Amino acid sequence: MIRTRRTLHWAAAMTALALAAAGCNLVGTGSDVAPTGAGVTITVALVPDPPGAGAFYREQFDAFQAANPGITVKVIENPSDQQLSAIELMFQQGSPPDVFRAQDNGMDRMLERGWVAPLDTYVTEEFIGRFPEGSMEPATSGLHRDGALMSLPLVWGDWSALRVFIYNQAILKKNGFDGPPKTWSELETMATAITKNGGGKTFGYSPGAATAPAVEMLANTAVPYSITAQGIDFRTGKAATADPGLVEAVELHRRMQAADVMMPGWESWDGSRAFTEFAAGNLAMYANAPWNVAEIRKLNPEIQMGVTTIPVPDSGRGAYTALPQSFGPLWGMSAKSKHPQEAWKVMDFLSSKKFHEAYYKTFGTFTALEDAWKEQASKNPDQKALLDVAEQTLRRAPNPKLADEGGRAILTAREAKPELRHIEAAVAAIVGDKPFLPVAKDLDKKIETLIDQTIAASDGKASRKDITFAGWDPLKPYSPEQ
Amino acid sequence: MTTTQSRGGTVAASSAPPPARGGTTVHRPPLLPRLRKHWWSYVFLIPMILLFGAFTVWPMIASWWYAFFDWDGVGAATDWVGLGNFTEVLGNEMFWQAFWNSFLFSVVAICVEMPLALLFAILLNNHRLRGRDLYRLALFLPVVATTAVVGIVFAVLFDPAGGVVNDTLTGLGLIDRPINFLGSTTTALPTLMGIDLWKGFGITLIYWLAALQTVPKEIYEASRIDGANSGQQLRYVTLPMLTPIAIVILLLVFQRSLNTFDLVQATTQGGPVRSTDVVPTYIYRYAFDPFIQAPRYGFACAAGVVFGLLTLVITLMQAPLLRHRYKAGAA
Repeated sequence: MIRTRRTLHWAAAMTALALAAAGCNLVGTGSDVAPTGAGVTITVALVPDPPGAGAFYREQFDAFQAANPGITVKVIENPSDQQLSAIELMFQQGSPPDVFRAQDNGMDRMLERGWVAPLDTYVTEEFIGRFPEGSMEPATSGLHRDGALMSLPLVWGDWSALRVFIYNQAILKKNGFDGPPKTWSELETMATAITKNGGGKTFGYSPGAATAPAVEMLANTAVPYSITAQGIDFRTGKAATADPGLVEAVELHRRMQAADVMMPGWESWDGSRAFTEFAAGNLAMYANAPWNVAEIRKLNPEIQMGVTTIPVPDSGRGAYTALPQSFGPLWGMSAKSKHPQEAWKVMDFLSSKKFHEAYYKTFGTFTALEDAWKEQASKNPDQKALLDVAEQTLRRAPNPKLADEGGRAILTAREAKPELRHIEAAVAAIVGDKPFLPVAKDLDKKIETLIDQTIAASDGKASRKDITFAGWDPLKPYSPEQ
Repeated sequence: MTTTQSRGGTVAASSAPPPARGGTTVHRPPLLPRLRKHWWSYVFLIPMILLFGAFTVWPMIASWWYAFFDWDGVGAATDWVGLGNFTEVLGNEMFWQAFWNSFLFSVVAICVEMPLALLFAILLNNHRLRGRDLYRLALFLPVVATTAVVGIVFAVLFDPAGGVVNDTLTGLGLIDRPINFLGSTTTALPTLMGIDLWKGFGITLIYWLAALQTVPKEIYEASRIDGANSGQQLRYVTLPMLTPIAIVILLLVFQRSLNTFDLVQATTQGGPVRSTDVVPTYIYRYAFDPFIQAPRYGFACAAGVVFGLLTLVITLMQAPLLRHRYKAGAA
């Protein structure tokens, strides 16, 4: 009896220790084991965006695996809001991905930590030749840092920068309008009339989402993009949130909000709500990114949708939509990868014409390899309209981040303080029906102080010159030689 | 000799009555023999202790430590800023706005949800009420509903353009124009509080129902023999007997409501114009906002520590009153 009891005690103790060990393993690093067969496993951390991307990537990597025996691709999907934190956590835990998605500023964030591998040793002339001519120049590609290629793109450079005005032709016609508004006052007049006639079911206009992105989109037809993006006018190197063009864009929305012209509820909308309402025929007009067009067509194939340029100020256009770089960085290769050759094969695959053709076919997105979609896009009315708007409204613009270290330091410091950007103040002015100008002036003071502090702390590496491009005319294409 | 029986068998045996507070010293066996006697019980505790240490104690201590650094969450924290983060938190208007909103969530939970749940618990505790289990289930269902789904459903219901609630109110002629429940700075917070109340109501109800089971039936019978009616039973039997447990429920509800996060994040993300921002969403933004160049984990930790201390202070402020009520109830 005693022996049995002792045995039970030992069994209990061992079970407890096993459980404890299992618990400890929860916070340990663990190890990646190839799901199938032997060989090398390459971990790819991505975002299942747009909808359906999870299945798409798996299908594509299955095809890759079939063509590359011995390489298994393990996909880790992170939600878009947490993607950067999730990747950082993977690096911290000692199990970094070999290939990861970290677009735009996210790539710089990873770069600062020393986690991004330069790709120059892998790329060949054939590889560079896949991209549009001149787009991979280190000074303007957007993928290079200090002359080294650090990232690869997914989408067409113009696609990232492009903003379009989407309107419902049937609703406009029903309200007696032949075409879309060309100016801000036309937009206000038409939106007011449509909402008034809509009887609470159809609305003339919406600023797009809770952060009112349309304010920035409209303002970018009036002021240099740097004012809406950074609060700084790159022509002078000074803070300029209080620029009359941006102030008027906010005031236009404030007036429409106060007059109940805009579709109610936008204050809590996410990014998908505008196209959903538009596709349902509840919203007549809004400005947004080009991917909205494909989503609307998916939801409502029969909708009479028009795509055109964003209305400009009554006094005329003051700026074109800026194209500060050829591409937005997206795919990065880990500097900690134990299998860089195999990781590069995956990177190479993600920049192959086959992959880009499949991506365009599945999502309707214009990708970085123009050959993969341009011919077909010109035959599709929706996509042709997007190409036309891109042709009409996009112009090269200076990018201090690409120009030198000082510019990068100043802009990175500004971006670390998102509260200094106009967005929150603009929404507060619109929702609270308060004037924007005093808040904008206050923001400018804070931005000026931040610039001065950053320059003072840079040991001479940064100066106002790094963010000043006196010869730049936002109505004309910019070249780095200017 | 008295022996206490439990489901597990005899767990304690003593020939002496329990010592009075501040009374004579009781001689207990030395620690080591006691540990040796129950060593296998402690072995069973090891996994729990390890997990509790790793996932509760360590993060808490670490957050206090990191609060003194300007740290972005990567690598070792080396940039010591002393009390800099705390000064910034305490001087940040948006933090106090978020704290006030969190506090309001607690006020509503304590002043509205608790009494209402008690009322329902008393009704549902009535054995003569037919279908009471069904009502209990219906009231508890929101507790197990996923908050993200709840957020989406309520956003659709409260939509000012075509939402059921607005359509109904307009149709009945109760309002002239739709109410922008989640999009207005004046209505968004009360709306979220209402949803939070609805979602948390079931769990408070369960607390009260459990508390009501602790009131001995004999006391009700005695009071009935003494001629007490239902109202008098409630006033002189039920409520005084519930007081000690009510204090525990109050603290639980206070803590839960003060930490409201998922509902706000799923519906308004603190907007519009931070009118629904609560401290957990404020902290989340500084630690995980994908739009900032580098996360400010150190600052977020400081905000968490300040919030924890403020919560502690508010809880301690209730202590004298609660102690008094506890003694009164226990007596």
